[in-house]
Amino acid sequence: MSLHFADYLIILVYFIFVIGVGFLIKKKIKSSNDFLTSSRSIPLWITSLAFISANLGAQEVIGMVASGAKYGIMTVHFYWVGAIFAMVFLGVFMMPFYYGSRARSVPEYLSLRFDEKTRGLNAISFAVMTVFSSGISLYALAKLMETILHWDFDISIWVSAGIVMVYTFLGGLTSAVYNEVLQFFLIVLGLSPLVIIALQDAGGWDNIRALLKPEMTHAWKYMGNANDNPMGLQFMSLIFGLGFVMSFGYWCTDFLVVQRAMIARNMGDAQRTPIIAAIPKMMMPLIVVLPGIIAITLMQPALLSKGYHIPTTANGELDYTMTLPSLIAHYYPTGILGVGITALIASFMSGMAGNVTAFNSVFTFDIYQSYFVKNKSDRHYLFVGKAVTVVGILISIATAYIARGFNNINDFLQLVFGFVNGPLFATFLLGMFWKRTTGHGAFWGLVAGTAAAAVTHGLTIAEGKGGWIAEWYPIKSGMGQAFIVAGVSWVFNFFTTIVVSLFTKPKPDSELKGLVYSLTEKPKYHEQKWYLRVVPLGLVLLAITILLNIIFF
Amino acid sequence: DLQFVIGLFFSVVSLILLFNVMLGSNSKLNVYTGSGFLIFGLAMMLIRGKK
Repeated sequence: MSLHFADYLIILVYFIFVIGVGFLIKKKIKSSNDFLTSSRSIPLWITSLAFISANLGAQEVIGMVASGAKYGIMTVHFYWVGAIFAMVFLGVFMMPFYYGSRARSVPEYLSLRFDEKTRGLNAISFAVMTVFSSGISLYALAKLMETILHWDFDISIWVSAGIVMVYTFLGGLTSAVYNEVLQFFLIVLGLSPLVIIALQDAGGWDNIRALLKPEMTHAWKYMGNANDNPMGLQFMSLIFGLGFVMSFGYWCTDFLVVQRAMIARNMGDAQRTPIIAAIPKMMMPLIVVLPGIIAITLMQPALLSKGYHIPTTANGELDYTMTLPSLIAHYYPTGILGVGITALIASFMSGMAGNVTAFNSVFTFDIYQSYFVKNKSDRHYLFVGKAVTVVGILISIATAYIARGFNNINDFLQLVFGFVNGPLFATFLLGMFWKRTTGHGAFWGLVAGTAAAAVTHGLTIAEGKGGWIAEWYPIKSGMGQAFIVAGVSWVFNFFTTIVVSLFTKPKPDSELKGLVYSLTEKPKYHEQKWYLRVVPLGLVLLAITILLNIIFF
Repeated sequence: DLQFVIGLFFSVVSLILLFNVMLGSNSKLNVYTGSGFLIFGLAMMLIRGKK
């Protein structure tokens, strides 16, 4: 694949626009709250699209196309089971606490609801995870550009990190959020022509169903037994592991996405943000799963004349992560090729900027201001927020270079992140809906859940991974193992939190108003139109999601 | 105004795609996509919601 003048010009225009947004926002930044929380002033349509775009990083775009090629339509479970239900739950039940408590971050909510040690545990683990995730995203971008365009690895790293640093340093969270909206449109509109022409080439959906094995085009039909479907999953482990534990753990507690709803103008908009974001999320498989299914269809004997092939690795196996870049190279001529490459770059940059802005908020408010330097002027914290942005980018760059030297570090970091994230939702569920939950219970529940995750991974083995304590329990797929590890960690956290809470003293009711469901006044909905009220809107979305699951059963 | 900026971005990109075809270096796909981007960009710049 080689780019021409028009392609480079489109990439350059994109860079100019994202930096331009940073300069335009810069004059509005007067305080640390402006820089780190946008002073809760962002309109609903922007928070909703930023909510979805912050999650639309490269791992999502390239990873889901790869998954579509490898597992077929079962990949939609990450959307229609593993996202929509949790997003609606966040909007209806959890945003009133996050937003109503006036907390500036998720760890700050934990300090209000529980205590400082629970906040510290969550803040430190989250800060470490986000800055390393940002580095992994940066590494993946440079590696991809080196592979498909033969761009120099160092130049890709420093140019892309430099651009993210400029616009996040100038405009803080608002700048990142505004650019996430631009990136959302660029990714969706930049990849849509690819889906249309590739689908036409494959002969339409009916032809895809005729050419592929039935388990590649049915989402649920072959999930009764793990041996019958390409993911190697049984439906119960999917529903509990992905649909409940991992999905709610990510969408309802990860500050990276929740932050986008916390900067809305008012409570109603904060609640509607994840629910409105669920609409494009529901449709996203058209952009990121369907191309993968089309790619594997184009390799069937009947369509070999189309001349498309997923690239192979040195071992001769299909390199699924190259599915999307190879489709772009196959179908896009000069000009729109620049749009496709820019869409890929945008997905990397939105993921990286999202991580960096979440990192600087948590580090400044929940670590620096809470434990090191309290009661300084707002100007001081604005300076720290900007300095931490630069430091976060530099750590990301260092992580990218470490990842280049140690291929397995990505797998290791993802594994550790899974141990920490798996049990999280149990803490929030009990904290928000059971006023008897104590800070000691929450803290030791998280510790027990994380330890249980590590031990479960050590006792199970899948695709040669895990089993480092003893190979007690073989599992068919790595994905199935991840769901079981998350499920066990959640259960351990849930019961440990309850037991420890029953033996320790809870906070008085007066300190829990606005933080616990039973002690919080329910939001009053003044909007006349039913589709602006969160509950009816959420129910409609859930009904459509269930219908989609039935259609593609 | 973010809506205006997004509209401007897609309008500029559409002009690059269409000029690329007009200047002879290239593709129906560029024409269709460029036209689509231009319509989207102009709509984003010109259509305003109720205040």
